[in-house]
Amino acid sequence: MDTITTKLSREEIFNLMKKFITEVIGEEFVEEMDITPESSFTKDLEMDSIEIVSFSEKIKAHFGDQIDFTGWLSSMDLDQLINLNLGMIISYIEECQS
Amino acid sequence: MPILNINHQSVHIQELNQNAPETIVLVHGMFSNLSVYYFSVAPILATHFHVVLYDLKSHGMSEKTLSGYDLESMTDDLKGLLDTLKLKQVYLGGYSFGGLIALKMAIRFPNLIKKLAVIEAPDPSDEKARGIIEEYSREFLENYIENFTDTTKVKMGKRQMEKNHRMYEYLFHQTSIKDDMILEKDFFEDSAINQLDQDVLLLYGLTSNCLDAGKNLNQKIKNSSIQIVDGDHNIPIQEPQLIGEALLNFFQRK
Repeated sequence: MDTITTKLSREEIFNLMKKFITEVIGEEFVEEMDITPESSFTKDLEMDSIEIVSFSEKIKAHFGDQIDFTGWLSSMDLDQLINLNLGMIISYIEECQS
Repeated sequence: MPILNINHQSVHIQELNQNAPETIVLVHGMFSNLSVYYFSVAPILATHFHVVLYDLKSHGMSEKTLSGYDLESMTDDLKGLLDTLKLKQVYLGGYSFGGLIALKMAIRFPNLIKKLAVIEAPDPSDEKARGIIEEYSREFLENYIENFTDTTKVKMGKRQMEKNHRMYEYLFHQTSIKDDMILEKDFFEDSAINQLDQDVLLLYGLTSNCLDAGKNLNQKIKNSSIQIVDGDHNIPIQEPQLIGEALLNFFQRK
């Protein structure tokens, strides 16, 4: 378990999220994509819900109880989930760290 | 990723609120996976219960298996899951094909199941319900994914399309799922359904093709009640809050 205690910068969080996405959907797909903070989870990254479950688990394993990512996602309705982009997740993690 | 070894297969599970004294197990439907509950219905139930979700064989992140899709084998797997997690008695819910597995489980192991919720279980003798298995084709798949897939309402892109196509191809052309389903066609005629003792909640969509199956079950099961909600076969996606609350009320009621 690599639970962290130090505060990450926006860029560090972005790189970490990119690493998790690569682990979940596979390097061969990520190579074809230009992942940016504007990338939407469902439309651009084409992540389905079981992949988002895996992604949530990686966040939980990394940040521990510091961040309730699954709870945060659960509070969204389907339209909000569809519009979810990487930048929103980075902001949420940043907020939880402060 | 929590993976258990059950009956010599790797099974992906997720648990919420593990410290709660009582447990609800939820079973997903065919071509779906545990995520149908994970972000919506399960968190509502987890406000009061320990919730266990698992991926059926060859679905989600569980191991692929060539055979054993009949209800006997599927309930052997579920029994194995309860044993592995040392759960002596649970509340059980199942959606669509998962609803049939849940029903079979209550018939085979009545002492393990405190209450049963069946969401949109089809009548396996209904040709239309089984028809998707026989009419399978690429065109049909595209139409199915666009209109009926129960994991997301987003139209799929190329990667998802191919991923799902691979799953359908595998399930239909390599496993015994087709034959196993046809063998279950008389399941609703099983007199054991009439002898179920548990309280059973039947949740069906008003415009669903499966509504008659729900009414049929309601007549057969003595301690059943049916709740008909706005929507079609996809009610857990269309009305997750309502379904979650209906299940919570039902399982909490003494």
